[in-house]
Amino acid sequence: MAGNMNMTQSQLMKKVSEALFYLTDLNLYLDTHPDDTKALRMFEEASENAKACFDAFGKRCYPLVAASADCGDNWEWLVGVWPSQKMA
Amino acid sequence: MFIFTKMTQIPVKINNKNPRLASYILSQYGGPDGELGASLRYLSQRFAQTEKCGIALLTDIGTEELGHLEMIGSIVTQLTKGEGAKSFDKYGVGDYYIDHANGVYPASASGVPFSAAYLQSKADPIADIMEDMAAEQKARATYDNILRISDDPDVTNIIRYLREREIVHFQRFGELLDRLQSKIK
Repeated sequence: MAGNMNMTQSQLMKKVSEALFYLTDLNLYLDTHPDDTKALRMFEEASENAKACFDAFGKRCYPLVAASADCGDNWEWLVGVWPSQKMA
Repeated sequence: MFIFTKMTQIPVKINNKNPRLASYILSQYGGPDGELGASLRYLSQRFAQTEKCGIALLTDIGTEELGHLEMIGSIVTQLTKGEGAKSFDKYGVGDYYIDHANGVYPASASGVPFSAAYLQSKADPIADIMEDMAAEQKARATYDNILRISDDPDVTNIIRYLREREIVHFQRFGELLDRLQSKIK
């Protein structure tokens, strides 16, 4: 679930971190079980979901990677909550 | 290569201040069993791995540990944000304030600066993975020690999460060791 239009920034971030965490955990598992077909299908699905959550956050809140920062009149990369800061 | 992502693996949101607890948790930043040592250990050892699964696992776990380093730095920052010299002194960590004030410095809880002597890189896949499994257990034990002292649920929830990750990494390294040993036989 990429999240709907009523979700707050921290709710959308929770979706992103859950999706990426699931992906990371499957990634490590596959490193030592490279031919586990069930896990491969799970990774495929997790990867699509993570991308959707990531894009939804970027669109609604602020860019999570510099490459997707908007270059209008202002450097959008500075916007948002950096890791040392608390999300409201 | 690495691409920075502007988020932590799980959100870090600490509401209370506690410079003393921060100085204990700092050990997982630059202490003997901390995340800096873990990431450098795996990201250095991977160059000598011969099997693809070994290179991949050390790269991927080393990368995750870098993310955990960032989470520890965030916890320390939030626990001390806005606290001054008097507060650090009252919490019994005036000595840290004198040297680093509110900065995050890679050192152990007892104040010893980070050292590469905490890790090895032996170009022997079996020796390296054995070290890595021990390292995960030592990191897990350090998180246990932090959990014995921390009474702040905002902190404790994140530390429990990081502790769990050490157990998962230990499991994956064990599987890698089995794979490497079965190639030798």
